[in-house]
Amino acid sequence: MTTNSADVNGIRDKAAIIGIGETEFSFDSGRSELQLASEAIKAACDDAGISPHDIDGLIRYEMDTNLETMVVQSLGIKNLRHWESVSYGGGAGNAVVGHAAAAISAGYCNYVVCFRAANLRSQLRLGQARNPGRIAGGQGVFAAPFGSMAPAHQFSLFVRRYMHEYGATSEHFGWVAVTLREHASRNPRALRRTPITLDDHQNSRMVVDPLHLLDICQENDGAAAIVMTTPDRAKNLRHADTLTLVEAAAQGSGPLNEGVIYRPDIAMSESVNTARDLWARANLGPKDMDALMFYDHFTPFCLFNLEAYGFVPFGEAKDFVQGGHNIRFDGMLPTNTHGGNHSEAYIHGLTHTQEAVRLIRGTSTAQPPNKTINRVLSCSSVAQLSAAVIIRRG
Amino acid sequence: MTQQQDQTIKSRPMTGPLEGIPLPDLDRLPDYEQGFWEATHNNELRIQKCSACEMFRHLPTPMCPHCHSLEYLWTRVSGKGVVYSFVVVRNPVHPAIREKDQVPYNISLIELEEQEGLRVCSNVLNIAPEDIYVNMPVQVTFMPTVDEPNVVLPLFVPSK
Repeated sequence: MTTNSADVNGIRDKAAIIGIGETEFSFDSGRSELQLASEAIKAACDDAGISPHDIDGLIRYEMDTNLETMVVQSLGIKNLRHWESVSYGGGAGNAVVGHAAAAISAGYCNYVVCFRAANLRSQLRLGQARNPGRIAGGQGVFAAPFGSMAPAHQFSLFVRRYMHEYGATSEHFGWVAVTLREHASRNPRALRRTPITLDDHQNSRMVVDPLHLLDICQENDGAAAIVMTTPDRAKNLRHADTLTLVEAAAQGSGPLNEGVIYRPDIAMSESVNTARDLWARANLGPKDMDALMFYDHFTPFCLFNLEAYGFVPFGEAKDFVQGGHNIRFDGMLPTNTHGGNHSEAYIHGLTHTQEAVRLIRGTSTAQPPNKTINRVLSCSSVAQLSAAVIIRRG
Repeated sequence: MTQQQDQTIKSRPMTGPLEGIPLPDLDRLPDYEQGFWEATHNNELRIQKCSACEMFRHLPTPMCPHCHSLEYLWTRVSGKGVVYSFVVVRNPVHPAIREKDQVPYNISLIELEEQEGLRVCSNVLNIAPEDIYVNMPVQVTFMPTVDEPNVVLPLFVPSK
């Protein structure tokens, strides 16, 4: 009998995150996406204490306009031994980190970078409807003519269903928004730092009922990058005293993915599959995690992730987030201590893994007091394809 | 679009298809999608049904995801169903929605009575969005789009 791949963890502790870097986040960067990518990768290399010339592996988001060849030329990479592109935007978040760890584990390259660089506010805004006029097939043909043209339209369809099945209300989502903003208020990188109240959330403009404006992540310009190598090399680099290792990674889907909204039970996140594999590979569970980074394109997905990854039983996440104290940086499960897509910046999830590294280094601007962070789960329930990684102190 | 909703005043119902937004290009659709739009043009709702295992499926696909048969029939369904989920768009993200003042409108996911989990995306007409609810019974109706009269949309109205 063959072994189920869910039980195999070929990457365990074989890759170390040695550097993280980013540009400033803004609503109009005023420069090219190639420049943003180059700056973020250079910053991550500086943090690691290596030269961009050392890089020989690149994991990019398929959606990124910066092709491998452009980055190679910009950074003066001598020989790109390994490259990959991971599909989608938020769906590639965490997945690029897992792929990078796998490339290092396999020995395909010595120093690998994952990055995301985009002017998602001043150029292509993903939250706006594109206007192709006539559509030549695919899921859009069965959605756009009825006005379903933006991510918020599709995703809010299963938020509504989730509310119906589990009794969650807009106020529960509001507590997520309030908490994320409080975290961002401590973070000088964050774009939105003014604290908000539950009333502010409830009174914010209804964009796609049931989602208020303050349930929806911002759209912004910026770039982020993460550099990895083997733990042996990491021991001779800048952060040798605090190694951050990739302990496990998983990706998963549900059936009938295309179109997001046709899955058998849209109130249940497809990332239950991702979670099952992740915990099996790591031989760990939610109780072993000291903090949670979740992909917050929309606030209700905090509840989806808490349930899918087993922090609480299905239907109980609404009680867990009520009042915000459990998910605050000083609470039981510090969650998105950087402020997330919601209030720090929307860089398709790469900033979440960066924050996991900061928490282990002890350098988060919302560092949990009186608690050593040894393990962080960074995960997504994007709604069709999701990915997760566990970052641990080495 | 910054005014708050007054809970006591209901929004206007939708009465027909949205205007000025993307529509199918009937001449360029893949073969396995054409039957859907040919049927709505005849005021019929037809869904792909596998000839081998007789499972309905939507979105259309060339192969049955259950038994992998390539044979299917566009099978007429009753057009009766319930609202599985719905949202109300109040912020226009498409220029034509904004310019033609078409908000609010609802996007509704209709579960058809023929098979559990068999859903189509549509709009529910003739009802204020505040009155739509999950599990509300609905019935299909057909209306040509203003922009391309050959494209007929399956829309839904509340049923008794």
